Amino acid sequence: MQKAMFERNDIRSKGNSQHELPDQKNILSPEVKHSILKARAQALAVEKNDAAGQKEFMEVIVFGLATETYGIESKFIREVYPLKDYTALPGIPSFVLGIVNVRGQIVSVIDFKKFFNLPEKGLGELNKVIIIRNEKMEFGILADNINDARSIAIEELQTPPVSTNGIGAAYLRGITGDQIIILDAQRILEDRDIIINQEST
Amino acid sequence: MDKKDEEFFKRLQATFRVEAEEHIRELTSGLIELEKAPKFEKASELIEAIFREAHSLKGAARSVNMKEIESICQVLENIFGKIKNEHISLSAEQFDLIYKAVDSISKMVSDGGTIAPKDNRGLINQLQSIIQTHAQRKIVDEQTESLKNPLKEATTGASFENEIPVATERFIGEKPIQAGTVRIPISKLDPLFLQAEQMIQYKIAAIQRSSEMKDINGLIGLWKTEQKKWDSPRYSESITGLKKINDWNNERLKELETHIIAVTHALETDQRSLGRMIDDHLESMKSVLMLPVSTITEGFPKFVRDLARSQGKEAELVVQGKEIEVDKRILEELKDPLIHLIRNCIDHGIKKPGERECLNKLPQGKITMSFNATESRHLEIRISDDGVGIEPENVRKAAIKTGILDKGSLEKLNPNETLMLVFQSGFSTSQMITDISGRGLGLAIVKEKVEKLGGSVSVESSPGVGTTFHLLLPLTLATFRGILTRIGNHWVVIPTINVERAVRVNQKEIKTVESRETILIDGKILKTVRLGNVLGITTGGNGTPTKKNHSTKHDTFIQLLILVYADKRIAFIVDEIIEECQILVKELGKQLTRVWNISGATVLGSGKVVPVINVSDLMKSATQTDLSIKESKEKEIETVMKSKILVIDDSITSRTLIKNILESAGYLIETAVDGVDAFTKTLIGGFDLIVSDIDMPRMNGFELTAKIRKDKKLCDLPIVLVTALESREDRERGIDVGANAYIVKSSFDQSNLLEVIKKLL
Repeated sequence: MQKAMFERNDIRSKGNSQHELPDQKNILSPEVKHSILKARAQALAVEKNDAAGQKEFMEVIVFGLATETYGIESKFIREVYPLKDYTALPGIPSFVLGIVNVRGQIVSVIDFKKFFNLPEKGLGELNKVIIIRNEKMEFGILADNINDARSIAIEELQTPPVSTNGIGAAYLRGITGDQIIILDAQRILEDRDIIINQEST
Repeated sequence: MDKKDEEFFKRLQATFRVEAEEHIRELTSGLIELEKAPKFEKASELIEAIFREAHSLKGAARSVNMKEIESICQVLENIFGKIKNEHISLSAEQFDLIYKAVDSISKMVSDGGTIAPKDNRGLINQLQSIIQTHAQRKIVDEQTESLKNPLKEATTGASFENEIPVATERFIGEKPIQAGTVRIPISKLDPLFLQAEQMIQYKIAAIQRSSEMKDINGLIGLWKTEQKKWDSPRYSESITGLKKINDWNNERLKELETHIIAVTHALETDQRSLGRMIDDHLESMKSVLMLPVSTITEGFPKFVRDLARSQGKEAELVVQGKEIEVDKRILEELKDPLIHLIRNCIDHGIKKPGERECLNKLPQGKITMSFNATESRHLEIRISDDGVGIEPENVRKAAIKTGILDKGSLEKLNPNETLMLVFQSGFSTSQMITDISGRGLGLAIVKEKVEKLGGSVSVESSPGVGTTFHLLLPLTLATFRGILTRIGNHWVVIPTINVERAVRVNQKEIKTVESRETILIDGKILKTVRLGNVLGITTGGNGTPTKKNHSTKHDTFIQLLILVYADKRIAFIVDEIIEECQILVKELGKQLTRVWNISGATVLGSGKVVPVINVSDLMKSATQTDLSIKESKEKEIETVMKSKILVIDDSITSRTLIKNILESAGYLIETAVDGVDAFTKTLIGGFDLIVSDIDMPRMNGFELTAKIRKDKKLCDLPIVLVTALESREDRERGIDVGANAYIVKSSFDQSNLLEVIKKLL
């Protein structure tokens, strides 16, 4: 919003400078006039585009974690898979729920509630695994339920408040006007600390 | 057209490279054999073979216009032609020269390039001198002429063949086309094999479906019996309408049963043939990828010879069981470990000829590498040398020097365990690090690689007599069998290769010796541990012997699995052994690169995912558990429990990890995201200790430490800085601002952190 307003002001100021022109009308050659008109036309055209078409959107899947609502960008999502059954592994940090079998492939599932200090909720029929990936990494995120998919204008995202119960800025990209916390999938996938590599107990 | 020709030539060169490598291999192994000075008959056979290889290689080189190779081969051919005709024997120096020639051919083949004409010339001249030294008798003028000018000779081609008519007649036209073989790039076979392997999954699933059908049949049987009751006269007389419905039900039931029985039979037959077909298919696929051991050992004898000579030693390698076929993927991974072991034998075991003679040994050392396929379809490899052996005392000294173990722990080890220390990373008895070995990594890498393949390694040595390394590996990677085991609600698979046996014993047979549980099996005392405890699985007490203890304490039988790894044997208590089965081990996913105690997971016929145990890790954990249990019981519990720690890190993961580590050690934890947040919390909090990251927004760890130290109330609070910064300046700065400890993340492991915290509290 701020950005759009700023640009509008910008154009107005351009318009002002053109108002001063009539005084010098007589000395304008047709070429100069032409170029002024062209510039003005361009400026107007740009304003229109800016206001409507050029906003950047991202597609997100919106899901629930305990009492909160989160979103994660669709382009990182391989698929959403129902959590039918999972196998817990002994001796690994609690933020890893366990492993699941996705058509013969083993995928690990991370419980983000552990990162965000959210209360536990029993697993049920609504639970889904959102499998996110990039070239090097792939794992599932446990979701309590899936709400919907929607587009969100990136510029409308606000900086998430530094919360007292441990939600840091590290994995968060921002928060929407209607309180959907958008996760930064890119950073989550690239975080070396999320990889379990135990050389000894 | 030009482009086409070019492409064709490129393909031709690639073909040449493959062929040439084969000739070079044959040439080399022929030379090695010949150098061992075999009996006359064998020798002439070898000379003939070498001559033939040189000749074929020459022809092949000519077809791709590699003149340098051609000319060297020409001379080699001459030399061996002459040796053949005049029964000359070669000296070691002359062998060296010939090896050098073969090496340079090999280099030219692999580079596809050339060597400087001058070098080539020099090499050829040197080679020629071999025959000239032997030319005591008359040499045909014509032949001398051709030898002086081999390049010209070679390019004119066929003229040479007139000179040794016997050989050419026999070998021209005898191109190495063997009947019934076809060359397929391995890259094409690999996916095929993987697909075949994936089919196991469906074979297992078919078995499951088949048994599910049987269950359905059972249900129908039950229904039928129930239904029959309604046929009795006392019901049918009373309500005729109901009788009609019942008759109709009976009809449908019969129909349904007939169908289901037919389907069940069909399914069983299908499942059996599917299973058989998949097994056969996999077997054939496996055999396609099974290569003889010789594919990796070809170069070894020469390697041993060269390496020994470069150290002024003499050594010979004897390879036994070269023909044994092993999965190519295992062979590929095995080459490096074997080279490491050979190096180790030459560097440490075999001494210089003079020293050897003092010990009443032959001047030439002997290394034996024997391959053997065991009945249980395992590959057994023994690498022995007749060198000086390993002196346990030296191992002990080196272990102390390199800081692997302290004196106290060393004394507890038996001789065998002491010897096993040589496989520890960083262990080396060498006084000096050489480029061959001494860096203390070689044997550790061997162990790691072998374990990765699901094998084990051990060593035996008698000082003064020699050393034997013993490797046990699966012959193929896919035939993986495991024992499906239950502990509480958890199922795990234990690789059959590591299971010596499964026994049921009476609870009272388990004795406690020095607060450790043991059992006497076959006259040997075995350490006994609960698998659940080692893995950290809480079984909750139901179904486990604890509950039964009250009622029938003396008649409770427990299930034991005796696992073997390298030289260790431990009995593990499990709740139930479900079955032994064929399994396909899969990786745990990209996020779980390495999980302690677990090597992968497998999918059962029911779709259930079950972790597969890494027995090497498990044995280590089992040895550690009793120590840690003891320690934690004796000291920590009371003193530690109530300490309150503030963990500060801007990364969620690091924060969560540290929090988990500390919580599981019994501390109360609160977290903060940066220095500002932390300071506020510290003011309110009543913490006993602070663990903080350094690099953070708003207020970093140094600033926070300084601020706390300036505060009157907080100035005594112990502060541990945990950081990725590794510079000395930072460490000093950390001390300057008043931190009590400074742990670098790269050297960061749980015990380190916990130890530091314990000290400070």
